[in-house]
Amino acid sequence: MFTSLLLCTHGTDGARRAEQLVFTELCTRNPELQVTVLTIIDQDWQSMTGDDWLNSSKTHTTFLDHVEKQMQEENEEDWQRIREQYPAAARAVFAGVVGPIEQTIADEARKRNCDLIVIGPYRESRRLFNLAMEKGLRSRIDAPGLHKILPCPMLVAPPLPGPAS
Amino acid sequence: MAQTQDNKPLFIISGLMILYAMLASSGILHPLMKYLHTAKTADLQVTMGFIAGGIGILGAIVNSVRKPGNTILDRFVLQPLPGILLILVMAMAIRWYLEPVVKLISHSLQPVLGFKIYKVLNLNYVILGLLAGVILTNTYGIPKFAQAGVKCARFVLKMGVIMLGARYSFAELAKLGTYSIFLVGTFVLGTVFFVLWLGNIFKQPKTMTGVLSAGMGVCGVSATVAVAPVVKAKSEEMAYTIGTILSFGIICMFVFPTIGHLAGMNAVQFGAWAGTGILNSAQVAAAALAFNAVDIKTLKVAEIFNITRILFLPIIVLVLATWFGKESGKKLTFKEVVIDKFPIFILGFLLLFAMSSMGLFSPPTHYKGKFIDFSYNERTQVTEKEWETLKKAVETGAIQGLTPEQMEAVKDLVAQRQIAGNYENRNDKKLFYKQGEQRMFQLESVVAAAKAKAIEMPSEVTSAIKHAVKQVHKKSKTVTTLTDCMIWFFAFGLIGLGMQITKKAIFQAGGWPLVIGVISGITKASLSFLVVLWLVKDVVLK
Repeated sequence: MFTSLLLCTHGTDGARRAEQLVFTELCTRNPELQVTVLTIIDQDWQSMTGDDWLNSSKTHTTFLDHVEKQMQEENEEDWQRIREQYPAAARAVFAGVVGPIEQTIADEARKRNCDLIVIGPYRESRRLFNLAMEKGLRSRIDAPGLHKILPCPMLVAPPLPGPAS
Repeated sequence: MAQTQDNKPLFIISGLMILYAMLASSGILHPLMKYLHTAKTADLQVTMGFIAGGIGILGAIVNSVRKPGNTILDRFVLQPLPGILLILVMAMAIRWYLEPVVKLISHSLQPVLGFKIYKVLNLNYVILGLLAGVILTNTYGIPKFAQAGVKCARFVLKMGVIMLGARYSFAELAKLGTYSIFLVGTFVLGTVFFVLWLGNIFKQPKTMTGVLSAGMGVCGVSATVAVAPVVKAKSEEMAYTIGTILSFGIICMFVFPTIGHLAGMNAVQFGAWAGTGILNSAQVAAAALAFNAVDIKTLKVAEIFNITRILFLPIIVLVLATWFGKESGKKLTFKEVVIDKFPIFILGFLLLFAMSSMGLFSPPTHYKGKFIDFSYNERTQVTEKEWETLKKAVETGAIQGLTPEQMEAVKDLVAQRQIAGNYENRNDKKLFYKQGEQRMFQLESVVAAAKAKAIEMPSEVTSAIKHAVKQVHKKSKTVTTLTDCMIWFFAFGLIGLGMQITKKAIFQAGGWPLVIGVISGITKASLSFLVVLWLVKDVVLK
């Protein structure tokens, strides 16, 4: 069966479903399973300076360095939460990588010889009307784009059953 | 072989430009140009096509025969050249084809809609260019070969502002500077503290309100980028804030000029309002050119306000750093906070202003880019019909609310049929010129006051006075060329900046930053609109 698994998470509700599936079900069935928890720092942060033309390149670099540092800190907090929540995560490897989402997932899976990728389910984004802020950038995995470059099978965690489903 | 492959886009774009220039110079396109009302620019189209295409071909050949390196020539000329030419082609196509087509379509749809779309939405070449940039980047994406060139847009826009420095006089800069320091100071600081207060009311984290207050108060995304590391903003706070500011700013870019036209604002009033109320400084320039892309008065005012805002940025960063530093205990150096944030290009703007004031771009007799000719001849007179209109208005008392000096200038215009000094002083050139200049200033302030609806005056009288002022102006070729270049720089820069506005960045908007941003943004725009209408009435620009 699967021996090395790449769990893609960024702490959202959907991603937490993937975490739950991996650490409570898959790791229970296969305690020897090697899990790599991958958190991607979206490369599109570079385009978040929009039409700013006033700042020097030094200020831009300072901003992007701050973003990266901030994301790494937030990832550390998230990874700590995973470790505390799931005892099975004690053996997991945690990695934070900057890059385009789909390409990074495929590259990391290939680089780490993973035989399964696990991601969270599709969620409706209510960012505009939800006062509570979600971490990081709002972005979606381009599923067709990812499917074309997958080096191994991918498992999508099912969403929580909705009311009266 | 690989290098030739890399040069393909550059060869193709350059070749197309040269081909277009050849077609334009042969006269084949003349009927089309006539139909689009761009025939007057035929020579410019040919010249630009040949020069830009020639430079492109030369660059492509150099790229083919030598190994690409990391020299200054590579980084600043050869690598960005394809992107620069792509944006230039877009700018030319938009200015000479898309804008006229949009106008023609608007005219043909007017009977159906009851209004001209291009006038309501201010769809001139500047706005169309920015939109083209946004559409390209969010659909097809910026082609790989053009990415280095697109990054030049920031530099080009700064060059545009620097060149604009040559178009001010001491008097204008002093007058506008006073207004802008007062208005911008009030609204920048007011908005910053208003956002901080709202954040406190809604119990939001200080890191978020800190970064949002700078963006909403000073100069949009630029301020957010500068302040975020200082207040240690979290990832979601930066994303939500930038999304909010970008989306609000883009809406403002369309709404402001329309409201400005509906409210009958003059160039100075709109420039002041846009420069105070619009968040992003790039969008201030776009809105000013959307309001009026033909004459640069609006842009001149808006940019002074823009520059004043930018100069406030280090101060606000210092305030927020102090405010945040007290809590975090982290001390920042003066260099980190102020020196690194100072926009160096403003020194270039001031340098050009100083050079222009010393008469380096035009003869000393040229006044703000125009040579004033008060000599007595037919060319400087108003028409017979205009003279009769003015005479009748003075006799019947149709002009109300003028100051004694303004009224005196109008009466003298009627007496002499043109703006001039006293007839008896015509041999004393210096005195004659000074008197003429004073009268011209008074008449221009009458026109500005009429435009601002500060005085009651029949429109045909205003039109006659305007024409009288126009008759004594002769443009300086040097300054006209400089202005034309500058307009192209702005158009180019804004297309390039449009290419850097991604839908992903816009769609980050939401949450509390959106709520607080909308409240403070609308408050700032509304209050500054009222204050500008109340305060800015009769500033005269040349």
